[in-house]
Amino acid sequence: MQFSLILLAFIIVLGGWFFSIYNALIRLKVRINNAWAQIDVQLKRRHDLIPNLVETVKGYMQYEKDTLERVIKARSQAVDASGLKDKAQAENFLTQTLRSLFAVVERYPDLKANQNVLKLQEELTSTENKIAFARQYYNDEVQRFNTKIQVVPSNLVANACGFTKKEFFEIEDKTEKETPKVKL
Amino acid sequence: MPFSFIEIEENKNRVIALILTFLVLFYFLTAYFLLIVIENYFASSQLRPGEAEFFFPPFTHVLSVLIIAALAALFHWTQSTSNLIPRMSMAVGALPIDKKDTYHQYFKNIVDEVSVALGGRPIEAMVIPSGSMNAFSLQDFNRRAVIGITEGLLSRLNRAQIEAVVAHEAGHIAAADSLSATVICSLSEIYEEIFTKLRAGLSKTRGRGVVILLLVFILLGIMNLLSKLLRYFISRQREYRADAIAVRLTRNPLSLAEALKLISKHWRGSGAQGARMESIFILNPKFNELDERENTLSDIFSTHPPVSRRIKILLDMAHLDEKTLEENLKNFRRASPVAKIQFKPDAVVKAESETQSKRWLIYSEQKWLGPFLLDELTQMRGIKPEQWVRREGQEATICAFQDWDLRNLFKKGAEKTGKDEKNSCPNCKTPLQALNYEGTPILKCSYCEGIFAEQGKISRIFIRKDATFSENTKRLAEILINTKDKFRVKYKDSKSVWILKCPNCMRKMRRQFFIYSYPVEIDRCIHCQGIWFDKQELEILQYIFENKEQFFSGKYF
Repeated sequence: MQFSLILLAFIIVLGGWFFSIYNALIRLKVRINNAWAQIDVQLKRRHDLIPNLVETVKGYMQYEKDTLERVIKARSQAVDASGLKDKAQAENFLTQTLRSLFAVVERYPDLKANQNVLKLQEELTSTENKIAFARQYYNDEVQRFNTKIQVVPSNLVANACGFTKKEFFEIEDKTEKETPKVKL
Repeated sequence: MPFSFIEIEENKNRVIALILTFLVLFYFLTAYFLLIVIENYFASSQLRPGEAEFFFPPFTHVLSVLIIAALAALFHWTQSTSNLIPRMSMAVGALPIDKKDTYHQYFKNIVDEVSVALGGRPIEAMVIPSGSMNAFSLQDFNRRAVIGITEGLLSRLNRAQIEAVVAHEAGHIAAADSLSATVICSLSEIYEEIFTKLRAGLSKTRGRGVVILLLVFILLGIMNLLSKLLRYFISRQREYRADAIAVRLTRNPLSLAEALKLISKHWRGSGAQGARMESIFILNPKFNELDERENTLSDIFSTHPPVSRRIKILLDMAHLDEKTLEENLKNFRRASPVAKIQFKPDAVVKAESETQSKRWLIYSEQKWLGPFLLDELTQMRGIKPEQWVRREGQEATICAFQDWDLRNLFKKGAEKTGKDEKNSCPNCKTPLQALNYEGTPILKCSYCEGIFAEQGKISRIFIRKDATFSENTKRLAEILINTKDKFRVKYKDSKSVWILKCPNCMRKMRRQFFIYSYPVEIDRCIHCQGIWFDKQELEILQYIFENKEQFFSGKYF
């Protein structure tokens, strides 16, 4: 009698522990999905902004057709990309082409004095920052999740319920991979 | 330091419980003290002299006092937490952003970015129209959050620095200490409101003044005590924590260090509206000796840690020392979010429609104006068929109706000329053009180059320093300041002039000096507070304002 009571209590405690960990894992997973949705929103916003920018800039840049075409191509590639790795790569390429476009804009004083271009440039910069921040948030959440499913004791629950590691949204940007330079 | 919404919710409940308990206790102790004084007073009047005895109130009295105190605390709490954000933002003098303003849009973008970094929590942006440099955050129990900065900060820091400041404020929001600071400020602010209302009432009702005066004194005493005690709740540690979260969000300690350095060197808004709510700002608006010290005493009483210490921690993260930071900041120039516009008629608008580039010059009042595009001429209804015009690049002068392209102008617009309409120039009656000057939306007449600025826009224009001035403007400004004593006499003698109609509300505007020390004549609408500037008046004023150190440093004064 006594023994069965102790056993019952043990089972209840164990079950409670199991479900609490399971719920925590699910909560983390939902947050990761939410973070991913955030990135997607920002990426879409950037895709929508680029045609406007190209349209505004076109008139001034008779001799920079190449740059503009590259941007358009990179954009359509990014829109079509599916899967985490491909997406990251395509967006990377788009970021680079946009940077070269802005470098060209710097050379045209007329463009720099155009409030519309400046506004679009500001919007794009802002969107790019948002992408970076959303990515940062996503990666932080993924890191938390991945840590949680690997450490003892929650790895027992994770293994039992088939949680697998999530992928990071990585970016192969040269400037970002370098160690931050000390400005002297 | 993981922070999640669940933790924030827990924090919120703790904050409510703690402050409410404190309030009840505070009111109880105050009332209990009064009870002892009063009961002893009555008791002693019944005693014979020499029989001094201390008298403690009976239990039933204490209980009723406790109930009254609890009710008062509850009333105080509900009053000060209802409508928390609108009330507090009004108290600091912050306004919602102006969507048409380039700078404000830019600030809104930054706030949105930081909100993404926090995981998509919506944050509102607000701006204090002041030249000081500071930033604040507000939060209420319904998860509404606001980050606000001053115009001065917005126009003097670069993007990364503003982002760092906003991230610091977002750190307060994430850690929910913005909530406690907002509630605490609101609790002491409500007394201020009651007090001003009472004072307004007092000036109306003469007579029973003594009772009200006594009430005012009691209120003042309680208010002072309470706001001093409430300060204990605000730990200076929270600023370090918010700095840490800011670095975590932006991964850029250097910009935050730079921003703090720049803010600490400038006027932070002491004496301005809302400065007494020091605990919601990034740096204390008043320079405070106590803040800059590190000991237990200032740990208890001060709301902000020493700036130098904060900067040092941040610089350690950035692997940099104080000297190089100062060197860097010496030649600090920020990139303006506003396109460089020379003040001559809209180079921008013209550049945009370069394709249809036929332009005309118009002869009016003994001089050639323009050149204008056809579109611009269509907007200027003041142009008459017999007016002399000249095509740009040609010498031949003809009447306007003789020009084929201009002829259509008179056909269509014949019935529209010379009417008083909303948003039309008070001088020329032509529609005003909406433009952005220094990032602020204004209305400009493309014919006489007069400018109409609505209420609140002028301070923005003065604080921002993107415009460049022509030699002519500079010369006129100097002449004006040199001879301003003459104007003063003239102004006293003259009667007020009401000629021009306000483009906004169509009522007459009053002609007056902008202020006495800047004797530029403007027309101010006394209903909507909009100001009409004739050609160049705004630039002259702005030039004087932005160089006021030079003008008023003995040389001219």
